[in-house]
Amino acid sequence: MSVKYVPVSWTTSKKLYDAGLIAGIALYLLAFSHFAIGAVDDQALRIRALGSCAFLLLSLVLAIGPLARLDRRFLPLLYNRRHFGVITCTIAAGHALAVLGWYFAFSPLGPYDAMLVADIGSGHLRGVPFIPFGIAALLILLVLAVTSHDFWLSFLTPKLWKALHLGVYAAYGLVVLHVAFGALQAQRAFEIEVTVCALGLVALHLWTGFREGRKPRMAAAAPSGLVHACKLGDIAEGRAIVVRLTDADPVAIFRHEGRLSAVSHLCAHQNGPLGEGRVIDGCITCPWHGFQYRLEDGRAPPPFTERIATYRLHLTGDDVMLDPSPNPPGTYVQPLEPA
Amino acid sequence: MSPPDFFIGWDRNSGRAQFRFLALVAAGFLALLAGIGLLDGQDAAPRGLFHLAPPPPPDAPIDAVTLRGRVALHPYPTLFVQPDATHPSLHSVLLSGDGKRGPSIDPALADGAMVSVTGLKLRRGTIDMLVVGEEVHPLPDPPIAAPAPVSLGRWRVAGEICDGKCQTGAMQPGQGLSHRACASLCLIGGVPPVFVTASPVAGASFLLLAGPDGRALADLRRLAALPVVLEGEIERRGDLLVFKVDLTQARVL
Ligand code: FES
Repeated sequence: MSVKYVPVSWTTSKKLYDAGLIAGIALYLLAFSHFAIGAVDDQALRIRALGSCAFLLLSLVLAIGPLARLDRRFLPLLYNRRHFGVITCTIAAGHALAVLGWYFAFSPLGPYDAMLVADIGSGHLRGVPFIPFGIAALLILLVLAVTSHDFWLSFLTPKLWKALHLGVYAAYGLVVLHVAFGALQAQRAFEIEVTVCALGLVALHLWTGFREGRKPRMAAAAPSGLVHACKLGDIAEGRAIVVRLTDADPVAIFRHEGRLSAVSHLCAHQNGPLGEGRVIDGCITCPWHGFQYRLEDGRAPPPFTERIATYRLHLTGDDVMLDPSPNPPGTYVQPLEPA
Repeated sequence: MSPPDFFIGWDRNSGRAQFRFLALVAAGFLALLAGIGLLDGQDAAPRGLFHLAPPPPPDAPIDAVTLRGRVALHPYPTLFVQPDATHPSLHSVLLSGDGKRGPSIDPALADGAMVSVTGLKLRRGTIDMLVVGEEVHPLPDPPIAAPAPVSLGRWRVAGEICDGKCQTGAMQPGQGLSHRACASLCLIGGVPPVFVTASPVAGASFLLLAGPDGRALADLRRLAALPVVLEGEIERRGDLLVFKVDLTQARVL
């Protein structure tokens, strides 16, 4: 949360996160190159070490989202996931530059021309040019890295930004094709890593999707147009329950000092799950990056400017009823005080 | 301040349980990366479908040498030097230029002329290559007789088309699919194509490729660096085996 754009608003957690990441990468590259077996040039070794490292990092960064959904103790990994992505892209770019400076160098053609003419198909499955898959994946990763900053998030709007950044899955698919038609045609050790990573990621996403899909969705009852959200006692103090609607965005109903407030479940920052957040210092706090909103009007406390939609609540006996039509973001709604 | 079980990035107090969990994840992450790095590095020089012998380091340090001999321009520029103690028959040395280029040959140079060439000598197994940085010029020396071609019959051989330069040690490994684009560039640039056989043929694992007419082959990019089966006549010229192949018969495995 910041009022002006700075390249990175550093926190201790971010510094520790990045230090751990860089240490892991250094260990990987060292273990790969120092104990490598086989007569291989330093340059070819560098190409392979950086390429396989980028693949591993991309697999790990994609696992963070579902892991955080399955176990909230993984949420801190999500907090600085963008740095993970940018570092992964940097390693992938290092791999590409190493290839350009070795396999595509020393030719009468320039390296970029060489890249276009050298790798033509063989007309068989074996020999499908694998380099274009890698180039396409890298281009996607570069776009995502460049637009990862909060400036682009607010410029593009969270919805569009999120859609754009789902492109990372396309990049991963392309990387799998790149290695399947390239390194995997010859390297046995790498085969295990690619298979485990790719299948593991698919399984993790399917399992998370299955669990999310099983959560019940609610429709408004005629003629009141209200949704029966929960019983009054269902909401713990300082927490929320999430109401998933059949044809609208989900809503989070918080309880703070005994009073109820309903706001959008989607954080204005990156659509994080606000309803899984807590009330801290009197504000709803997002579990992803800690953005805060006031309960009564969905506005971030000054000097911050983010706003989320609010909703109206009614109490019928013990039943909390939700009016599913959102108010414009930042609209004041008197918190509901049970008698 | 955040509750003990709720992490907020900008708040330093995230609770001991969360801290312990993250410390465990960090240790697991570091161990995972080191372990997989170790595993991946064990296959740093991939051996491919045929498990072609992993290319050893060059047999000798790469030194500049000057050789005199008879140049054959077809199928690819090759120098034949007089037999000596190490090479009892006319010894062949493939020629290439700097980088991914064939040698620069004086257009006036006739096939079979005597020449003197200075360059870096690469050697792997039965094959030698001289990387010539300067233009090859004729010498007024008395000519050496051309090696009499001896046909070894028709063969169907499995192997991989490589560029003669990387295969002889300019790059390690100078073969395999990840080296495909590089091999194609060398071949486009005029570096002689070498067929690395899956198992030795008439005592050799490296054959110089030629078309059925004994001339240079056209575009080899489609087949380079793939496991293929080629068919054609093998001819011995001095200590060099030339595989005269019909590429229309080539089969990718
Ligand atoms: S999504 Fe980033 S703080 Fe909510």
